[in-house]
Amino acid sequence: MSARSGSLPRYVAQRLLLIIPTIWLIVTFVFIMLRVAPGDPVSAAVGGKLDEAALDARRAALGLDRPLIVQYFDYLGDVATFNFGQTISDNRSLISIVVDNGGATLTLTLGAFLFALLVGIPLGLLAGRYRDSAGDVGIRIFGVVTYAAPVFFIGLLMQLLVAGPLGMPTSDIASPITKFEVEPVTHILLLDAVIAGNWDAAWDVFLHHILPCITLGLLLCGVFIRLVRVNVLQTLKGDYVEAARARGIAEKHVIRRHAFRNALVPVVTVVGLMVALTLSGAVLTERTFNWPGLGTQLYNYLIARDYAAVQGLVTFFAVVVVLVSLLIDIINALIDPRVRY
Amino acid sequence: MLALASAGVMIASLAACGGDEGDGGNGGGGATGEAWILGTTETVTSLDPAGSYDFGSWNLQQNIYEQLLVIPGGETEPVGDAAESCEYTDPQTVECTLREGLTFSNGNELTSSDVQFSMERNLAIADPNGSSVLLGQLKDPDADALAEGAIETPDDQTVVFHLNAPDTTFLQLLTTATTSIVDEETFPADKLLADDQVVGSGPYKLSQWKPGEQAVLEANESYDGERTPKSGQVFIQYFSDPVPLKQAIENGEVDIAWRTLSPTDLNDLEGVDGVNVIKGEGSEFRYWVFQFANKAVEDKAVRQAVAQIIDRDTIAQDAYDGTVEPSYSIVPPGFAGQKDSFQEKYGEPDPDAAKKLLADAGIKTPVNLTLGYTPTRYGPNLVDEANELAEQLNSSGLFKVTIEDAEWEEYQNLYKEGAYDLFALGWYPDILDADNYLTPFIRDGGFYANNYSNDEVNKLLDEELAETDAAARDEIIGQLQDIVAEDVPLVPSWNGQNVAVARDGMEGVEGTLDPTYIFRFWEISKS
Repeated sequence: MSARSGSLPRYVAQRLLLIIPTIWLIVTFVFIMLRVAPGDPVSAAVGGKLDEAALDARRAALGLDRPLIVQYFDYLGDVATFNFGQTISDNRSLISIVVDNGGATLTLTLGAFLFALLVGIPLGLLAGRYRDSAGDVGIRIFGVVTYAAPVFFIGLLMQLLVAGPLGMPTSDIASPITKFEVEPVTHILLLDAVIAGNWDAAWDVFLHHILPCITLGLLLCGVFIRLVRVNVLQTLKGDYVEAARARGIAEKHVIRRHAFRNALVPVVTVVGLMVALTLSGAVLTERTFNWPGLGTQLYNYLIARDYAAVQGLVTFFAVVVVLVSLLIDIINALIDPRVRY
Repeated sequence: MLALASAGVMIASLAACGGDEGDGGNGGGGATGEAWILGTTETVTSLDPAGSYDFGSWNLQQNIYEQLLVIPGGETEPVGDAAESCEYTDPQTVECTLREGLTFSNGNELTSSDVQFSMERNLAIADPNGSSVLLGQLKDPDADALAEGAIETPDDQTVVFHLNAPDTTFLQLLTTATTSIVDEETFPADKLLADDQVVGSGPYKLSQWKPGEQAVLEANESYDGERTPKSGQVFIQYFSDPVPLKQAIENGEVDIAWRTLSPTDLNDLEGVDGVNVIKGEGSEFRYWVFQFANKAVEDKAVRQAVAQIIDRDTIAQDAYDGTVEPSYSIVPPGFAGQKDSFQEKYGEPDPDAAKKLLADAGIKTPVNLTLGYTPTRYGPNLVDEANELAEQLNSSGLFKVTIEDAEWEEYQNLYKEGAYDLFALGWYPDILDADNYLTPFIRDGGFYANNYSNDEVNKLLDEELAETDAAARDEIIGQLQDIVAEDVPLVPSWNGQNVAVARDGMEGVEGTLDPTYIFRFWEISKS
């Protein structure tokens, strides 16, 4: 016990220090990729409108005519001092983008995870428990289809087949009226509506979350179904399950207390790994539902070739993924005595 | 349904609030109409007039700020806005007299000094996203600054502009958002003001700003001009993609969808109950440019043969479902001096006539042509247009066309580098004047660097800009169009319409759909 409690803090410290080279690599990669790609913020905004001399003058005003190496080290210096600056295309600070739009991505991804856990885990357990039954086959097909189908395709189906007949909202995180009424306190709209005691607004925000969360959740759901099913099959073959049966414990208790519970432990690890998948899925989901989250912002800034915005947002996403992975490692160490670092 | 119902209740209650407030004020405050929601895919660069050069920003600015002049819906000539009048005292001098008692929505007085300040800071900031380039007639040629003595303000009501060169388009320029009047006590002289802090004197004031999500405008109670708002509150919801915008107008989540739904979407919506597709005259121009540096098209006969073959009616019908109008001149219909020079010179599409043109010039056929387009700038239908044009040229037997495409950013470099003999571009005007379709296109290679240059053209361009007699100027503009049809630096393809989709009960939409592309929120109401 003492060895484990001594190694975990050291491991956490190492992982935290590793964030620095990780971020440096990502920042460098994104910097190079953006410069290698054709175009720049000026040509994206007013190309096809002004002559080359006027375009060059604007590039010079933005400092884009300087040698790349100078631009690179300037940017690294800014990142090192946590100065992510302002976007080029609309003069917003990177911090304000994360604060204003991060809440929408947070509630979307949390909602999607919740849906995936609530649907994926029970279906995975059932499939594992009743292996090779018609139900198992159906659930496996469902899992494969939801994982393989493009998010935007599922989103469009939701809008056409579900939203229309049920009269559900198809875009944005809330109606314009709700967004106007609710004062931003936490910048998490659902929470702000609740804090304001505006239940009509909260209900409106909740309704807007349903289809996007299900769409993104279905992507994650397929992963959970397959993972949990396989784990159930493995745990059902475990010695401790056999031992429990041999002791005459009722089958339903064996399944519930021994097989299912142990089958869920790897899910925690996978949740960490799926954060990156979720964020990439969120970009597509946000586009499909006009969701005002960071994914939409990233896409729009990418189209605008807004170097500062894209570099800043990708760096933020990278930090989130690294920190969540670290958090999951810590949780794993705490809940599973076999884990050592 | 619940969501829509609750939204409807909230809109109604808010509209009632807006009405109550409005009843207590003057001018814009008299707006009592119900609040309404506009959905658009346009983006906003900046709400500060010195920091933008795009549709999305300009449209909000046209509603928030006053300009000296304004173009009423459906008309083409400017009338007074903040100015009672603006007149040329000589070809290089314009004198404007402001209306009495102008104030910004924050209560500050609007005087001639604010007008000078607005232009001066726009030139001084010279923002990379801005449109200070349009103020060239007032600019110091050697610095990002107002030329010395370019603007005089002899008293609080009078502004005198001294232009660098004679320019008959200057009054049109005074209607653009670039010349919006800002409060010198609020706006910094050397940098942009944050979007959520902007203050204007127009019919609406900014009530809420969520970048990329929505803007909320409320009637400006201190506004007492002609642009009296009919609704107390307007919501503008921004969409990052046309697909959810189409869904939103279909489901009634927005009241009006304006810019930009594809021709296919518009045709789909024509048959939807409760939804009306409203079309107005537009000034969008789509054209195909010849790269004069390329051997394949350096002979005029080759370019004329293409102009002789192109079947614009078929392109408009097959590639755009009839939602655009065939174009027969570099200047769109409706502009003073416009004439269909290509129609006059080439008549109906005629491959035999094209064959004769090439034969007379001794050109061996088929002529190899590389035709370029971009699928990522001008909408998905450009691929259909490119294929249709290539098919028309190939089927004549006179050309052998290779089609190439590139993403917009790469495309810009490629067409300037000569990768295409013929390439597609689109244009929206900055001002409603024929010159905006001439000078940027045909003076020394144009902005697209196609290497076309003609001394006579340059001379005529100078003359039309300086000509104050309308009939004489129209004559010169006509000559320029004829030269374009003869030299064929480009082939006009089509002119777009200004299209909006409105739910039942929306009024005033048709009146604002004109070639200015200004969406006049003050004219729209919901019943």
